Amino acid sequence: MIELRNAGKMYRQGAREIYALRDVSLVIKKGEFLSIMGPSGSGKSTLLNLIGGLDQPTSGEIFIDSTPLHGISDNELTLIRRRNVGFVFQFFNLLPLLTAAENVGLPLLLDGESFSLVKPKAESILRKVGLGERIDHRPEQLSGGEMQRVAIARAIIGNPAVLLADEPTGNLDSHTSEEIFLLLKSLNEQGQTIVMVTHDPKAAAYGTRIVTLKDGTTSQDISIGGEES
Amino acid sequence: MSIKFAILGILAERDLHGYELKSSFDEKVGEFWSLNYGQIYSTLDRLEKEELVTHDRHVQDKRPDRKIFSITPQGREELEKWLSTPLNKVRALRDEFFVKLVFMDKSSPVPILELIEKQKVLYLKHMNRLTSRKVALKKKSGSLDDLTTELLIDAGLLHAEAAIKWLGLCELKIRAAFESNPPLRRI
Repeated sequence: MIELRNAGKMYRQGAREIYALRDVSLVIKKGEFLSIMGPSGSGKSTLLNLIGGLDQPTSGEIFIDSTPLHGISDNELTLIRRRNVGFVFQFFNLLPLLTAAENVGLPLLLDGESFSLVKPKAESILRKVGLGERIDHRPEQLSGGEMQRVAIARAIIGNPAVLLADEPTGNLDSHTSEEIFLLLKSLNEQGQTIVMVTHDPKAAAYGTRIVTLKDGTTSQDISIGGEES
Repeated sequence: MSIKFAILGILAERDLHGYELKSSFDEKVGEFWSLNYGQIYSTLDRLEKEELVTHDRHVQDKRPDRKIFSITPQGREELEKWLSTPLNKVRALRDEFFVKLVFMDKSSPVPILELIEKQKVLYLKHMNRLTSRKVALKKKSGSLDDLTTELLIDAGLLHAEAAIKWLGLCELKIRAAFESNPPLRRI
């Protein structure tokens, strides 16, 4: 479970105080697929960065499974992030010289595991995301949709408490996007908690809950959970 | 209009009685379009007068006779012609929301902006339901009938998306209009 209590993020520009996010309180339950929606400048990426421990709030509190993500050192934050959070970005962020399996195994390699142990894990996750035939391919040999699948596999190899996705299909055509969303949906049905930020209502509609942001604060909280409402 | 062609299309596959025709209609397009028996039978009557459909009477024990409807060669020709013709008349905007906009309170933007917000939430919920249906459909191995259902769902999603984008634009323009041109106070 992730909990934000009156979380805010303020920047100073000279004497002016600019709030990217103000007073957001939000509980994200285990197993939820939360879509955060809002126009650019509404604070969605700031919110995602706070939930993912890429940044700390200037006010309020954030907890991930009761561990605080606020008021701690950058090193502590990095450690919590590596253990608890998987990221998927719009531009895939794969290392071009590594194969799909090496890219996927990277988080575990950074934790000091040996590649002989990591490789079978990476291969099994690649099969899970439908890339059993692409294990030894490098990013340049893959399509956009396949690269995003590799990025998703990399994000979940460490069994993160939450998978965070920032406009994961912003760079893909609509048919390929749909396949990525169906993959995320099936991971969610297997229990993976997902938080996705998007400006696209088609993408947000895959969530079991949609929170909309406006001017740095939550404006609507729509719980749906699938079927008729 | 196209109830006529939906019925011709169903009868082009096989002969059916009225009840079966309604079930087949519901199964194929019921998600988007609901018809009652009255509409089905009155359309069938009209199609018979136009000689596009004909019927056979099946005698049943202790029950009224049953009419089995079938498409005539003329009906098939009419259907083929319709299927190969694109739509010339693009559907006009006749959303009730548009009418509300016309009659909105001109002295303050607040009520209409609140309405826009509520309307957007309803469209989002609608998109969420359609998406759930699509996800469920994709889990089954797809027949061609499933594909047409999926494509209709896609159309529904795109229409709702357009509505949400349009409402967003309404919001921005109404805000801007009231900021640059505050309503005159009546004396």
